[in-house]
Amino acid sequence: MSVPVGHYQYDQIDRDFLEARIAEFSEQVARRIDGSLSEDEFKPLRLMNGLYLQLHAYMLRIAIPYGTIDSKQMRMFAHIARHYDRDYGHFTTRQNIQFNWIKLEETPDILRDLATVDMHAIQTSGNCIRNVTSDEFAGAAADELVDPRVHAEILRQWSTLHPEFTFLPRKFKIAISGSPHDRVAARFHDIGILARPGDDGRTVFRIFVGGGLGRTPIIGQEIFDSVPEERLLATLEAIVRVYNAHGRRDNIYKARIKILVQALGIDAYREAVEAELAQMDLEHYRLTPEMVDAIQARFAVPELSAPENAAQELANRQRENPEFDLWVRSNTHPHREAGHIIAVVSLKPAGGIPGDATSAQMDRLADLADEYSFGELRITHLQNIVLGHVRQDRLYDLWSSLKEVDLASANIGLIGDIVACPGLDYCALANARSIPIAQKLGARFGDASLQAEIGALRINISGCINACGHHHAGHIGLLGVDKRGEEFFQITLGGRAENGASIGTILGPALPEDDTVDAIARLVDRYLGIRKDGETFLDTLDRLGDAPFKEAAYETV
Amino acid sequence: MKRPVRVGAGEKLVLTANRLLDGTIVWRDRLGRWRPVIGAAEKLDAERVGDVLELAQIRAQEDGVVGVYEVAVRDVDPPEPVTVRERIRAHGPTVHPEFAVETVQ
Repeated sequence: MSVPVGHYQYDQIDRDFLEARIAEFSEQVARRIDGSLSEDEFKPLRLMNGLYLQLHAYMLRIAIPYGTIDSKQMRMFAHIARHYDRDYGHFTTRQNIQFNWIKLEETPDILRDLATVDMHAIQTSGNCIRNVTSDEFAGAAADELVDPRVHAEILRQWSTLHPEFTFLPRKFKIAISGSPHDRVAARFHDIGILARPGDDGRTVFRIFVGGGLGRTPIIGQEIFDSVPEERLLATLEAIVRVYNAHGRRDNIYKARIKILVQALGIDAYREAVEAELAQMDLEHYRLTPEMVDAIQARFAVPELSAPENAAQELANRQRENPEFDLWVRSNTHPHREAGHIIAVVSLKPAGGIPGDATSAQMDRLADLADEYSFGELRITHLQNIVLGHVRQDRLYDLWSSLKEVDLASANIGLIGDIVACPGLDYCALANARSIPIAQKLGARFGDASLQAEIGALRINISGCINACGHHHAGHIGLLGVDKRGEEFFQITLGGRAENGASIGTILGPALPEDDTVDAIARLVDRYLGIRKDGETFLDTLDRLGDAPFKEAAYETV
Repeated sequence: MKRPVRVGAGEKLVLTANRLLDGTIVWRDRLGRWRPVIGAAEKLDAERVGDVLELAQIRAQEDGVVGVYEVAVRDVDPPEPVTVRERIRAHGPTVHPEFAVETVQ
């Protein structure tokens, strides 16, 4: 069997484990249906297998480790959408995929189908270490220092069914990047890891702890600056042990590690971790170069080669076709290898549902991945898809194919690239709908030229304080709230998840949905009127504060 | 313990749940059957709902439903839930008109 590009190749041990796990869950489902298990008994078992009961049906959340899949796996998502769901899936802000119309009795069959392509839904729920997320440009970006996916895979193996960490005080999220440009929101994770090359050629890690969004948004703090590769697992083990021992279990709202780090202070937390490390058998946790190399060997490296005139071909096409040129400007990123480019496929068509893809689109993306990017796809935490290794002279053909399936929106990083949780249309926890207001804003600012003129401006929308839409980190954030049974939206400004992470601040009173859309439009108009040459929205906000935007947003209220 | 649903003037209560096998939203009719349309739901006074709810919860496994609870509705035909959440449950997600749920049979 050929080794896939971009993700780890399972071995027989992995497959035997999955088979046993599915057999176990099949029996649990059967016992639930015949009444041997009550719902209270069954709920934690189904959640451990990624199965939620939402508003209209069961929802299955499937793990996409470090956001990377191959074309066979994408085709399996299309198959699940077509045969078990309503012909579409939803890519999430944690690089996973969710299916919203699942039947309990069919779930074992779905898991069996998934296992044929080495996928599962384990640890996509529950108070355990969740899917490890990573940089969507990993292994491809020109600005990258270290490809973080090998270490992400090591963390996946370390955290999967970890006997100590199956019942943590609360869920636990880890992100890892190997670029100086934080594309994983490292400071908004329970543990955020930035990898870089060390002096000895092995990787070293800067580690942040105690970040998170949700009810209490907090920016993670640096706990260690330079953890050597061989100490990575021991260090993470110690960090999570301290949390497991001292995190609060009496109050769900105070149970995340961020609350513990705030309560102890970062220095005391670090001392506790160092004390834990001092009494651990470090040899047992030592990550040797041989181990890392063995994992590395189960990743295929793409054989990149391009004609010498590839860049010139691309430039010619851009000159000839302004629409293509606009797309290239917003939806690509420089590749490390000459003649290549990273293409970002937007799942945010004007007026569409952010992150949704139909089975036909998923199948087409799989075909295009085979044709243009070594069969590899990445799911981004901003709910888009990346083809990481496209030859520059073939980019126009790729774009033309994407247009045929309505996947060529030129809006990455722009106002139309809206991040939104499923909200009250699906989610049992939500207070307000996220998708309709995202659709209205997407349609309002749908014109590609207008978006390009506005420039970098990210809108994030959450339907409740749990913040799955990362509204705290949006340049403009919208939080849906329930006011006497009606949906209102609170606007925040100035959040950012990248380098210099910050939490958005509330602009003023919450507004009804349509008033919110109008307020955002006025706010953007004000920005266009007062910005200096070259200033982004955040630059103008930093220079002038929120007063002019507040005045614009609330001028008719 | 869940707080009782407040019932305002011109409002009644209906019982709802999800079907165990496929999660479909169902509403309890006057014969105790679980039906997929809210128009079939029996409208109950606040004084009576406690007993009916308790019985429905006891019978949930036998009836093939999960998560039985009461919902405040306007006393019209078909009943219209008071909250946005329950209106979305009764009518289907607002973002896919093709998945709209009938409210009467």
